Amino acid sequence: MKKTILLAAFAVLGLVSCNNEGTAANTVSSMKTPQMENFDKAFKSLGEPQNRPTEEERKRNTSELSDRRKALLVPASKELILSTGVTEPEMMRKTGGDMSQIIVWATQIYMKKSDEIRNNIKTDK
Amino acid sequence: MKKFLTILGIAAFVFGYSQNGTLIVNNYTPYDFSGYIMANNFAGGCYPFLTSSAPDMVTVPANANMGNGNELRYENYKDQYTSSLYPISQWYVQSSSTISVLRPWNHAAIMPGGTISNNTKWSATKFNMKYAGTTNGVPGFSNGLTLAGNTSCYTAPDYFDMTSGGVTNSAEIFTLTSGGINYTYIQLYTF
Repeated sequence: MKKTILLAAFAVLGLVSCNNEGTAANTVSSMKTPQMENFDKAFKSLGEPQNRPTEEERKRNTSELSDRRKALLVPASKELILSTGVTEPEMMRKTGGDMSQIIVWATQIYMKKSDEIRNNIKTDK
Repeated sequence: MKKFLTILGIAAFVFGYSQNGTLIVNNYTPYDFSGYIMANNFAGGCYPFLTSSAPDMVTVPANANMGNGNELRYENYKDQYTSSLYPISQWYVQSSSTISVLRPWNHAAIMPGGTISNNTKWSATKFNMKYAGTTNGVPGFSNGLTLAGNTSCYTAPDYFDMTSGGVTNSAEIFTLTSGGINYTYIQLYTF
């Protein structure tokens, strides 16, 4: 009798465990931090009507994103940098508040985190 | 050829041209992106000029972007084959307007840190958008794109849009650069 109950308990455990595997959908999107999601949204927002390049911006002879549009990426970039434990003063000291430096730093963090998530998914499978 | 390489070598030394940087393609549209991926010299002249060759046009499916981790991301000509979701096994390498050769992804000539890699940057695409999962093009949503300032090497704008049925499709290429680190973005949007 004891054995049967034990067996049943294990069976239930097994079922629960398998069930969890299905519900915890292991996708990159579901494993992202809110800061990463906001970083993604900021990049997508560059295509919104009010954020598209203006005639003036399109006449420039540089490939670098314009300052107006860089500013759209800065808040999410800062959030992402701070989420790694870096303090605001540290961030400002390292970048001098320069938008390009902040965005590029955040992008490096983002790529690293996104690679880690991809690798985790691979090893889980 | 030797002279050419020497000149390139010197140019690389003089300009201290670092690695060509990372290319990211974010497809935010409900359509499949199908496009050639190109890179060229920025240290004087357009050559070497590299174009994806196998496949010639890379497909980045509808809605594949950083948001779901399905973006195209190439660090360099070689490692993209093993690390990206959309590997290119062969590059078409033009070293002048008359000399060209096909190079597999792991060929010594296009290694990171080599002359070609050090002297070129991701620069352009020529693409068609297709209804997801089909070979049918989205009318009007196809174009070339190249970095501003690179039109002498590849004739195309750096931004393009078209409106149809109250929806605006747009595409652009731009860079984000700081401290010798360079990211080149190609982004496709539908709003």
